[in-house]
Amino acid sequence: MSDPTGVPLSRRAFVVAGAAALVGLTRKGAPAIAGGFVEDDGPVGHRIRDGIAPGAVRERRRVPLVIVGGGIAGLSAAWWCERHGFRDYVVLELAAEAGGNARSGANEVSAYPWGAHYVPVPGPRASLARELFTELGLLVNGAWDERTLCHSPQERLFWRGEWHEGIESFVGDSAEDRAQWSRFQERLAALRASGEFTIPVSRGRPARSALDTLTLAQWLDRERFTSRALRWYADYAVRDDYGTSARDASAWAGLHYFVAREPDEKGPLTWPEGNGWIVRRLLERVGPRVRTASAVRAVTPVRGGRGVVVRTEDAEFTADACVWTAPLWLAPHVVDGFGPAPVMTTAPWLVANLTLREWPTDHGSAPAWDNTIVDSPGLGYVNATHQRLDHGGGRTVWTYYHALVRAEPLAARRALRALSWPDACALVLDDLERAHPGLRRVVERIDVRRYAHAMARPEPGFLSQPWRRALLASRGPVWYGHADVGGLSLFEEAQDHGVRAARAALEHLGRGAARRQRPADLNE
Amino acid sequence: MAAALFATVCLIAACGLVYELVAGALASYLLGDSVTQFSLVIGIYLASMGVGSWLSRFVVRGLAARFVAIELLVAIVGGWSASLLFLAFAYTEAFRVALYAIVTIVGILVGLEVPLLMRLLRERFAFKDVVANVLTFDYLGALIASILFPLVLVPHLGLVRAALGFGIVNAVVALWSTWLFRGVLGAPRALRTAGVAVLAVLVAGFAAGDRLMAAAERGLYADDVIFARSTPYQRIVLTVWKDDLRLYLNNHLQFSSRDEYRYHEALVHPGLAANPAARRVLVLGGGDGLALREILRYPGVSHATLVDLDGEMTRLFTQHRDLAALNGGSFRDPRVTVHNADAFTWLDAHDDTFDFIVVDFPDPSNYAVGKLYTTAFYRLLKRHLARDGRIVVQSTSPLFARASFWCIERTLREADLATAPYHLYVPSFGEWGFVLAGAAPYVPPDSLPAGLRFLTRAQLLPMFDFPLDMRPLPVEPNRLNDQVLVRYYEKEFEQINR
Ligand SMILES: Cc1cc2nc3c(=O)[nH]c(=O)nc-3n(C[C@H](O)[C@H](O)[C@H](O)COP(=O)(O)OP(=O)(O)OC[C@H]3O[C@@H](n4cnc5c(N)ncnc54)[C@H](O)[C@@H]3O)c2cc1C
Repeated sequence: MSDPTGVPLSRRAFVVAGAAALVGLTRKGAPAIAGGFVEDDGPVGHRIRDGIAPGAVRERRRVPLVIVGGGIAGLSAAWWCERHGFRDYVVLELAAEAGGNARSGANEVSAYPWGAHYVPVPGPRASLARELFTELGLLVNGAWDERTLCHSPQERLFWRGEWHEGIESFVGDSAEDRAQWSRFQERLAALRASGEFTIPVSRGRPARSALDTLTLAQWLDRERFTSRALRWYADYAVRDDYGTSARDASAWAGLHYFVAREPDEKGPLTWPEGNGWIVRRLLERVGPRVRTASAVRAVTPVRGGRGVVVRTEDAEFTADACVWTAPLWLAPHVVDGFGPAPVMTTAPWLVANLTLREWPTDHGSAPAWDNTIVDSPGLGYVNATHQRLDHGGGRTVWTYYHALVRAEPLAARRALRALSWPDACALVLDDLERAHPGLRRVVERIDVRRYAHAMARPEPGFLSQPWRRALLASRGPVWYGHADVGGLSLFEEAQDHGVRAARAALEHLGRGAARRQRPADLNE
Repeated sequence: MAAALFATVCLIAACGLVYELVAGALASYLLGDSVTQFSLVIGIYLASMGVGSWLSRFVVRGLAARFVAIELLVAIVGGWSASLLFLAFAYTEAFRVALYAIVTIVGILVGLEVPLLMRLLRERFAFKDVVANVLTFDYLGALIASILFPLVLVPHLGLVRAALGFGIVNAVVALWSTWLFRGVLGAPRALRTAGVAVLAVLVAGFAAGDRLMAAAERGLYADDVIFARSTPYQRIVLTVWKDDLRLYLNNHLQFSSRDEYRYHEALVHPGLAANPAARRVLVLGGGDGLALREILRYPGVSHATLVDLDGEMTRLFTQHRDLAALNGGSFRDPRVTVHNADAFTWLDAHDDTFDFIVVDFPDPSNYAVGKLYTTAFYRLLKRHLARDGRIVVQSTSPLFARASFWCIERTLREADLATAPYHLYVPSFGEWGFVLAGAAPYVPPDSLPAGLRFLTRAQLLPMFDFPLDMRPLPVEPNRLNDQVLVRYYEKEFEQINR
């Protein structure tokens, strides 16, 4: 059976249960696990894609600026507007809650992320991120709030039947591995010095790069990096950040992961609910102007491109400018005259939140925030209660991540959609039981979220694709601000593109309004 | 006669299988991952049986005597296998070595049994019947054992006694064999004596099975255990020997009643006596109430608040006669309020301020406790400090854990506190250290309360002087996101325990 997820469903569990039953080791029957799928945006997306007509217009409104999408990019666009005294906008968000890939959930045990769960400590060049975190009180006189920095131990890897703190011992297991690892570090240092890799990318963006013409795996071959540990780690990095394997990811994107950040502090920044914390704090500022459960069905430029009509299921907004921060693959289905669909593929992901009655069997180093199983098809789990300051122990929530990279995206997406909830549980548990035998017995519930199109995949050539440049050069009335525009799905990228688009839109509005009155605080 | 012989086959087969199942089950319980453990045990066991069968060719003379001797050996090794493995797990690092050694030995011995028995029987029956019957009863014995094991043995006897019980069966079979083969046995008397001895040892072990398990724990402590309880947070054990009462938390000595006054006087008085105006005192940790006893000597102290995670500890030290006597009934003093809560979250949730704060946590041996030694924690403490207030922190040994001690001091300074480190000798602990910290530099007290057993004013000043082998080391401060202290402590602890 070809199984695009790469996990043979339940077979292992069956053998374990069988062997245990044979010798009478099953102490108690594993208690039933509660849970289900937690998804509310897929069907609407497909109605849009399939061109099913929206309902009748119940409300018509005039508003200078419409922001489509309430993810990090959309909320950052709104935040930028507020900071510059501009409140004549509305954010239209498809889902019942804003946040997009940075949404979170909570139960009686803990808050937990549904997607993005950390931000690397922003370096000096990530000035927008620093500005936001200063405003949110995390950066005071150049010092980061210690409680928000990820507590020790940050990460551990499971290999040879045990957990090991950090990655150093893994990538340096043999003398040859160690030699290659230090050569790898030298290569990275040289690339860092080139100034080509920055966060956000726009700060040093090269129009094109030789490293963007090959995949990360090809680059590793070319540089004769053969260490199995190093190659596993490199592949893990791009699966974790971009939902793309080293075989498919651009070497430039992969190296960006290793090179772009020079944090002066051990991090990252993280919260029990992951980047949902940032979403909540942004909503404190922009929330009144965010309309949830408002999928945008059509964006139509009018007045020769000096205005735009934005249509949701039951409302119509006539605006002077529009900032698009919904995923880009949707844009051709919604924006009139968008032109041909952007050439890109998107990565399917599965995220599960497991509520645990108690900490399961665990061998080796102490539980960390990020717990990764070497040679697993998944990406491991983060522990939502890790940042708690009390003694810990007891119940907790784990967020399990799995980017489906084994098959090509379309097939993987189909397999993901076909997955039943019990299948999904078996996939998660079989993977995690490699490191935590008997995990099933302590799991109370498993909630699962499937992302059919989690993010754009940065494949070779992504940096210099003409359509990206065309979108960046937009002269209105729609400006594009989703992380997909740059191609690297990261908090700083989403924020940077959202703010850039908002700035361009405000400038456009400012010019339009100049005849009446020029708001001084708009020209930054 | 034939029936008795084949019953023997059946029994030894059952014994052999039980030892294998015991080893497999024990390995699964203790190491987890039952598939791996069972595969390995079964594989090694079968291979060893093969070795045993092969070795049987070298046994040429005295077949019957050898057979009985092997039975007795199996009885001893197999019978004690579970107990040995439990002890190996509790006391040594070599559990796996012990496991596979025992499995190999039992496997080889059991592998020897059947070929020898077949050769013994060949003289009495037709060979085709020997083979057929021996194998039939061998498999039958295995079936019986595999049914009994999960249904009766494990639930009713437990692994230790199941193994011992089948050791007894093995020994009985050996004794019985001396009778079955009496015609071909040279010196049955010696073998019978050995058999009876083996049987006696196994029966004694079987009778004492429960106590054997308890011995594993008792062996950890030199003295008599008078109280032992596992709470959700720790294992509390009290031992006594003559007039020495000792408290262990998770096997770490917390105090000995013979010299705890040294520790607690030194913990409290250098800081508290230096602030005659102190009225409100906070103790974090210290659920034994001994620091409170020292604090309550000051009539000026009107409120003493104690925050300890473990309600079982404070209850024990309130109610237990000897323990309440030791802390002078401090928990019953009307000035004392007890909160059973986590110190970090309790401080976060309250905003009271205190004139003196005693921080008496366990040593920073893991990341969970390590959080209570971070710059973040000390900054929080500082917010709870009244004007002229001071903190004292138990800071492990500046001699055995020198980097750890100076790391704690460095961390307090990093939190913008002026520090005054000091140390003393506590016989049951060795050289021990504390750090005083406050907004203003420390000035030693002019007087000490009456009734102390250790501390004098003259004694005070030398405590703040550190000899060469305890002087500061260059260390990093301990932060939530970079708990260097736990790593220092681990490294230093490893060195002591070498
Ligand atoms: C599982 C996972 C884990 C991740 N982990 C991290 C991490 O730890 N750190 C990190 O930096 N990044 C992480 N990312 C990347 C993450 O995508 C970015 O950090 C960032 O959140 C992207 O924000 P965005 O606003 O560009 O896009 P999105 O989050 O995709 O936001 C788009 C929004 O538009 C809405 N929308 C869609 N269609 C419509 C419509 N028709 N009308 C109105 N609204 C619409 C969507 O509902 C959504 O809210 C992760 C991503 C995933 C999927």
